[in-house]
Amino acid sequence: MSTTKKILFVDDDRDFLSSQSIYFSTRGYEVLTAEGGEEALKLLEKEVPDIIILDLMMEHFDSGFTLGHQIRKIDRLKNVPMVMLSGVASATGRRFDREEDGLGKWSKLDAFLDKPITGKQLLKVIEEKTGGAEKAR
Amino acid sequence: MKKGRILVIDDEYGIRTGVRQILELEGFTVEDAETGKDAFAAMDRSTFDVILIDYRLPDIDGLTLLQAIRSRELDVMTCMITAYANIETAIAATRQGIDFFLPKPFSPDDLIGVVETLLRHKAIREEAETLRLAHEASLLELASEKSQTHSLVENLRDAVLVINREKEVVLANRAMASLLGSDEGSLLRQPAAAVFAGETFSRVRETLGTSSLARTVFDMEIGERQYMVSICPFHSDKREVLGHILTVSDISEIRRLAMEKSRFIRTMIHEFRSPLGAIKGILEVALDKSMGGALESYLPLLDRAEKRLDGMVELIGNLLSISRIEMEGRTGAPANPTDIAPVLAEIGELYRERARTRNLTYETELEPGLPGIAVAVDDLRTILTNLVGNAVKYNRDNGTVRVHVCRVNGDVRIDVVDTGLGIATKNLPQIFDEFFREKRPETRQIEGNGLGLAIVKRLAERSFGRVEAASTEGAGSTFSIFLPAGS
Repeated sequence: MSTTKKILFVDDDRDFLSSQSIYFSTRGYEVLTAEGGEEALKLLEKEVPDIIILDLMMEHFDSGFTLGHQIRKIDRLKNVPMVMLSGVASATGRRFDREEDGLGKWSKLDAFLDKPITGKQLLKVIEEKTGGAEKAR
Repeated sequence: MKKGRILVIDDEYGIRTGVRQILELEGFTVEDAETGKDAFAAMDRSTFDVILIDYRLPDIDGLTLLQAIRSRELDVMTCMITAYANIETAIAATRQGIDFFLPKPFSPDDLIGVVETLLRHKAIREEAETLRLAHEASLLELASEKSQTHSLVENLRDAVLVINREKEVVLANRAMASLLGSDEGSLLRQPAAAVFAGETFSRVRETLGTSSLARTVFDMEIGERQYMVSICPFHSDKREVLGHILTVSDISEIRRLAMEKSRFIRTMIHEFRSPLGAIKGILEVALDKSMGGALESYLPLLDRAEKRLDGMVELIGNLLSISRIEMEGRTGAPANPTDIAPVLAEIGELYRERARTRNLTYETELEPGLPGIAVAVDDLRTILTNLVGNAVKYNRDNGTVRVHVCRVNGDVRIDVVDTGLGIATKNLPQIFDEFFREKRPETRQIEGNGLGLAIVKRLAERSFGRVEAASTEGAGSTFSIFLPAGS
């Protein structure tokens, strides 16, 4: 018996969300999307995704971190892998490494990736963190 | 040789007229006096180069007369003529400042020789005086130049300090004293190491300790402010260090601007990467045929990709505008004031189609007898295109866009009023900031890059105008532009 794995994408770019939805849902994943922190937290009240992909810069330049921190405080979500996407870090020569400034630890991120990113690249990371689309029960 | 003016004072008629005749024959101008009284009268009347004085006069003796002449501080050469020539008289007369002594009897040649010598002396004395005055003047000038240089250094905005070979402070200006929290006087003769004590100045001490002849420049932080320190050694012909000149410039403002620019660039990159990410995702799905081979299923996505590309093109256009406005600076008033009416009509035309599809009403209301506006027509067009564009974009269907233009004091006031979504009061102060966009569920759907109003503000300000925004969230906004009326 196996069920589909769930990915939650939190990004304020609706077009990005729609392409990722198509890319991953046609590859056997169930895709949940939220356009902001508030919407994500509401969704997480009843959902437990297998992985969360967060955009760093949404309402504020560090909305992703704030959200990550809030998610980690929810007990039943504390083991869900979280991947942070950012379109800013590498371009300005300032990389948010997981260890740097304790930012990684602070929100217990599992990966930090630069935007723009392809579905193919994300798929690799998602497979690695979740063990593929199908999960054994 | 220039002939001089001579005064002969002698009570003996023969000598008086004889001397006079001899000298007049030589081309001198001569006056004579029989008594001391006559002599003073002559000196009151005119000036003389040489005065010949008989030692014995009926009313005054020669020495007393000489004294009286000296006390007048006249620029005159004096010569004593007397038959009673002896050493004592000569010494006494010399003490009184007599320039020459001519004993009687004398030959005409003796007389002429003496007068010419005295005149020559006088010329030399005058020349020496001229030179002395010139020298004094140049010394004064030098002193004032020195004090000018001193006050220049004293009042420099940059902090300046000079250290001698013994590493003692020999000069510190006011800015340096205030930087070091001291006064100029108490810094003098202090050891540099004591003046630059503490961790903050470790680099300064280190640099002063080396015998390097190269200039050293580094940054330093004191409290909240950033400084650039330049330490320049000065050296002898033998290239040994004789001291250092330290200059400390406050670069906080430059730093702040640089930081602001980097923040701008960072935001700009984000503004480019977001659509790129979206377009890339869309193309990946389409190229990969995630939803099967039928093109139709991808059309809505591809349409979005195109819109995002349009947004990027617009972003580039806006960035170019900002850069151009920054490069051009203040442009000054155009040769001819701009008439707003045709510009408003043009913009109405531009948005007619979009307004029609959403059933918006576009109204313009121009006060009669409006003057032209002292702003370039292209700038006014850009300002109004942005404001009317926003009023259309952020309006509700069936809403109104109203442009009201009137004269207020020396300005033309343009109000662009819409009946749209409005702006939250807390966001109003930021509304003209670059890249600032209100993020509300209702505004999410509206495309924009947050540069339009920043451009409007810059354009208005460079023509000595200003912008204002007022709004009630949910009920619409009013953007007011004040631009100087053309003359």
